[in-house]
Amino acid sequence: MTAIETTGRGRVNGAAPSASIRPPRDYAWVGLVPLFAFMTLFLVIPSISVFNRALTSNDGSKTFKALGKAFSGQNLDAFKFSVWLSAWAAIVGVVLGTLLAYAATIIRRPRWLRSLITSFSGVAANLGGIPLAFAFISLLGRQGLLTKILSGLFHYNLYGGDFQLDTTAGLTAVYSYFNIPLMVLITLPAIDGIKQSWREACANLGGTSFTFWWRVGLPVLTPSLLGGFLLLFANSFSAYATAAALSQKSLIVPLRIGFYLNGDISANEDQLGFALASWMIVIMTVCMGLYWVLRKRAERWQQ
Amino acid sequence: MRVQRKLRRQSLAKLGPALVVLGCSLFFVLPLISMARFSFQNVPMIRLGKSTLLDGWSIEGVKKAFGDTEFRTALALSVRLSIGTVVLTIALLLPTILWVQLRLPKARAFVEFLTVLPYVIPPIALVAGILPLKPHARWFLNSNYSLVPFYTVLALPFTFRALDAGIRSLDVKTLVDASRSLGAGWGTTLRRVLIPNLRTAIISSSFLTAAVVLGEYTMARILLKRTLPAFMAQYQGHEPQGGMALALTALVATTALFALLSLLTRKRGPRVDRAPVSMVGPTSEHHS
Repeated sequence: MTAIETTGRGRVNGAAPSASIRPPRDYAWVGLVPLFAFMTLFLVIPSISVFNRALTSNDGSKTFKALGKAFSGQNLDAFKFSVWLSAWAAIVGVVLGTLLAYAATIIRRPRWLRSLITSFSGVAANLGGIPLAFAFISLLGRQGLLTKILSGLFHYNLYGGDFQLDTTAGLTAVYSYFNIPLMVLITLPAIDGIKQSWREACANLGGTSFTFWWRVGLPVLTPSLLGGFLLLFANSFSAYATAAALSQKSLIVPLRIGFYLNGDISANEDQLGFALASWMIVIMTVCMGLYWVLRKRAERWQQ
Repeated sequence: MRVQRKLRRQSLAKLGPALVVLGCSLFFVLPLISMARFSFQNVPMIRLGKSTLLDGWSIEGVKKAFGDTEFRTALALSVRLSIGTVVLTIALLLPTILWVQLRLPKARAFVEFLTVLPYVIPPIALVAGILPLKPHARWFLNSNYSLVPFYTVLALPFTFRALDAGIRSLDVKTLVDASRSLGAGWGTTLRRVLIPNLRTAIISSSFLTAAVVLGEYTMARILLKRTLPAFMAQYQGHEPQGGMALALTALVATTALFALLSLLTRKRGPRVDRAPVSMVGPTSEHHS
């Protein structure tokens, strides 16, 4: 076969046939250069620059001070709140997403229900940002429709306690709008992987429905559920736009980074935004790394 | 609901799942209904009740928002950014994936790893890394179109999967050999054999890219670019009704885009019915 050349503009051109006569040295890796160069320029270099700025103090010397300082005071509070919120949002997403996925497999009729649920999940898992925030302001805000319905019909004042859209409860509700569908997409294949024959085998050996779920079903699903938890956690942890539209305060880490980047701060605090971003990358790397491992385990049962 | 009635007759055990589905559908539909009310009804919340339910509906807010010149510039910018990102994505990924498929199969895992990297760097961290580079590339970053490569990066996990699934469902090697042995050059092979066969995959990845670009707010906000979401966030402040209407339009448009996408991918038979629609990054496809 003749060699192919990938030009910088990404077109594939034919090379002269004489190319194949040359001694067989493998230049095939050259084809990866455009993508690799692109990723280096627009992803790797900016990431390095985050860490670089986090480690460089104003006089140019290297120091870990900012990375430590990112874990104190208001920033520590932001980390605590972010982790707490993301964990809650992930748990709610995992539980409701799995229930919905299970319901989608159990309910056989109407036939279109399952495909409706999967298609809708494909869409809703990607909604977010500004429009989603507005949707929840219109539903659960102080003047929201549901707020009004609750107080009008059930005499329940949603804002009687300490509910706000930017508290754990409020943000969990908003994030669930994309977390639940994402979880459906993750667990559906896993739930489909539970074979009817396993159930029969369990029953033949004298197991009850509870035995089946406790000894077979849950252990098989566990990697998917844990993996889903991690993905949803990472998803909620990194969300910026939705929270930015819902809250004026910089309660969560992404908002605090934005606050530092927008720069209404003294010069020596400049480093802190980058330190926060560095920690964020570290946390995301750990989550996604674990997720990768769990996904490999989960796939064992889905052949 | 008919579904529910039927199920109750069948068995009580199925009531639970039906309730789950019902509850979830309420959760997903209610925000859209309340958005519609705020976008189209001019009745203050205090006065809203059974008697005023049908009063004051109009499309004044939408009209006003769409008539705003700033809205038009923002929309035009976002559309141009989407087109640019789609073109760059296809130009970058299509040759690379074809190349890997034909000549370098052992590099597949590496390329896949490269394309999921954006998942580890959230947009807010990526944009933080861009700011210190500004003095070195001011000419580039000052342009609105400097967002294109970064948006390409953000969309990469999704677009790679969509294209890759399409390419792997073809026997590319045989197609290329057949076309070449009939005397076609590489350009002709790409244009008349590969691209027509990959139409669905290319369309899906373009839609996914467009959806990412049209909704991206974080980077635009920090880099002070006036894209559609950035405009929306600011417009809502002084025109609550118009802002709400724009947001609803954006949600409906995105949903329509995805619905169209799943229709398109379904028509092409079962071979790509799972992968392209799910846009969940390193997750769902290679299951089952």
